[in-house]
Amino acid sequence: MEKINTSFKVIAFGMIAEKIKTKELVLEGIPNTDVLTGYLHQQYPELQHLKFSIAINKKQAVGNTMIPLGAEVALLPPFSGG
Amino acid sequence: MEHKRTPKNIFVQGAILPEKIANSIANHSSKTDIGGHSIFLGQVRADQKEGGNVRAIEYTAYEEMALEKAFEIREDIFTKYPLTCMHIYHSLGEVKTGEICLFVFTSSKHRKAAMDACEELVERIKKELPVWGKELVDNDTSVWKENTNV
Repeated sequence: MEKINTSFKVIAFGMIAEKIKTKELVLEGIPNTDVLTGYLHQQYPELQHLKFSIAINKKQAVGNTMIPLGAEVALLPPFSGG
Repeated sequence: MEHKRTPKNIFVQGAILPEKIANSIANHSSKTDIGGHSIFLGQVRADQKEGGNVRAIEYTAYEEMALEKAFEIREDIFTKYPLTCMHIYHSLGEVKTGEICLFVFTSSKHRKAAMDACEELVERIKKELPVWGKELVDNDTSVWKENTNV
């Protein structure tokens, strides 16, 4: 079977970046945002108590959303600009 | 003139200086169809936290997404209100207490559109732009800012 590259970049902001101690991750083989959230909760238990939304290619995902090949995924804590 | 359809940079490094605001007002004197301006200025407050007072807010943003979103909001507001001009500036990096971190400026033929549009813009900016403020407390700790509805 041909091996396809399913890796994608995850960038983290604000409190989330602080908790996972990095601003960028490269993950692979994660098909959608529900699986991503599960993975993150398992890998970084502290995130279980934090609210964050997920953006895929700069659009906020609503409900479980597919992560396309080579997507830029972002973990966004509640906004507090202004 | 002002009603261009391309995303503009809204971010300013550090505080928004009063001179910038004054110049921005002055730049509209040639636009004589304007009858009213509305301006909102956000200022960094010295809130009391555990262990001290806030001395500054450090802003970070998902810049590309924020600019796309700001463009979308801008287009919505231009469609909804008969505006002549609209300007949005938001700080990034450190802004000390008492300094300005947000400058929203709307202009129209008559006051109502400018005032309503300005209010709606501020609300949407706070709610929808991926920007985060970290409150730096004077005992060297920090607290992530939370936005309220008031």
